[in-house]
Amino acid sequence: MLSVQLAKDTFYATLRDRVAAGNAARTVVLRGVVRPGVVVTENEFPGAAVDGISPSDVFCLRWTSLVADTQGAMPLLTLGCEIRYATDGTSGTSGLDRGRMLAAMDAELIAAVSMVPQRAGSLLVTEAAAGGTSTIVTTGTNVFWGDISLKPATMKNERMERTAEIEVFCYGQ
Amino acid sequence: MASNLIASVAPVTRRVRAYFAPVDRAAGQATIFDASGISGFNPDAPPSPWVDLGWCAHFARKSGTKVAALNAGAPGIAVGQVRSEVEAQVSLEFESWGKLQLALSAGVQQMNVLRVQAGAAANGSGGVAMAAVPLTPGSTITSATALDVGTTAAAGFVVGDVVAVDVDYIGQTGYVGSGVSGGYVKSVATMGSDVDYIRRITLNVGRVTAIAGGVLMLGSALLAGIPATGMKVSRVVGFCDREGGSYFQEWSALFVLDGAQGDRVTFHYPRLQAMSGAAESREALVGKPTAPGELARLRLAGSFRALPVRDAMDGEMVVCFRSYLPGMMRTV
Repeated sequence: MLSVQLAKDTFYATLRDRVAAGNAARTVVLRGVVRPGVVVTENEFPGAAVDGISPSDVFCLRWTSLVADTQGAMPLLTLGCEIRYATDGTSGTSGLDRGRMLAAMDAELIAAVSMVPQRAGSLLVTEAAAGGTSTIVTTGTNVFWGDISLKPATMKNERMERTAEIEVFCYGQ
Repeated sequence: MASNLIASVAPVTRRVRAYFAPVDRAAGQATIFDASGISGFNPDAPPSPWVDLGWCAHFARKSGTKVAALNAGAPGIAVGQVRSEVEAQVSLEFESWGKLQLALSAGVQQMNVLRVQAGAAANGSGGVAMAAVPLTPGSTITSATALDVGTTAAAGFVVGDVVAVDVDYIGQTGYVGSGVSGGYVKSVATMGSDVDYIRRITLNVGRVTAIAGGVLMLGSALLAGIPATGMKVSRVVGFCDREGGSYFQEWSALFVLDGAQGDRVTFHYPRLQAMSGAAESREALVGKPTAPGELARLRLAGSFRALPVRDAMDGEMVVCFRSYLPGMMRTV
């Protein structure tokens, strides 16, 4: 269904832009390109180290569930989105600031997702062939989302990680 | 030719935002929100005289309008209907505590507790207050956000003070309080000799955010606008309302619900009066149980009865206007 991808692309683009606006220094280099520090796992090469948290100090999105309510004038789609992020802290402090770094990422994510309005005009992104430029047009409907749910932070060796969950909604067309 | 319209759906909203505007009690004149302003209404910067009251929880409307059948014949059969009674109620919980929210939810006089004189006898709503400070006569600096009290008097204030700005009580009767009526004096005989009474019940308050050159700068504009001649400034230490007060606060209300698809619903009650005493609801913090002893958030709970106004369009007496702004390019 076209609207599913539309919701995914719109939420990603909105989150990416809001995170970049909040902290322009949060970037990631993927395939040789510097981008805002928000990536969608399923959009990267299967073997790339973006299994959710391999790159540190980056927000990694994974789409986990889909529910369709077809009772209304338009079907309402509910997409589950998992956002994972991790940090090792900075080398200058031997990682002793990893708690602060994770707190900074928490704040950036909460601010980006909770910013009013919690909706965005849905974007129809058409993929171009390799080397080409994708086209983006607005469709007239909005993608919207609920409140974010943050899971407890966990430690993996010296790395701190957190997973956040959010539901993203859109109407099918 | 295929339509490019999008099917309209039920509005999906997150929260309700409330706005206040004064009712001129003496003239019986409510503030009317013109429904044509629904699309241009900026929730973050409402046009004067609307004042943002913040988000509300558990917003509920209840219509008490009764419709009765008009029967005729034998056996009786309904041949028509008549509205025998019109009533509407609103209940909500304010997310924020502030002077206006306290006053509206309490429904009675909302007292400013003024800083008391040394040795003043104890009184439930505050004892004899320190002398109020007059504004510098003829000052061109004084405005809705700046109070020119002169350098000597300004030394008696500190940044962070809350101040009440209003006239002395000198035997006025009827509705009192500048900008918004905050109380009603039935007769001079029932009143004491408290010259600060109007500054106690006024809603014309502000927070001092800076002091320079004898001028108190306020963080937000006074409800009554530029202070009038004769107004004085009193320091406020807190707010107090009383269960059993005789006054009924009345306000013009606008509730705005923005939909996820760019649609908007507004409910405009030109006249609302509290129909319950001061009450709070106790709500557990996110992720916490509602057990006794647990941290909880206190919300100001209020229930209001809608009073009528006459719609100038056709003379109908109504209590509420519901307006709907469909999203762009939706079917209507």
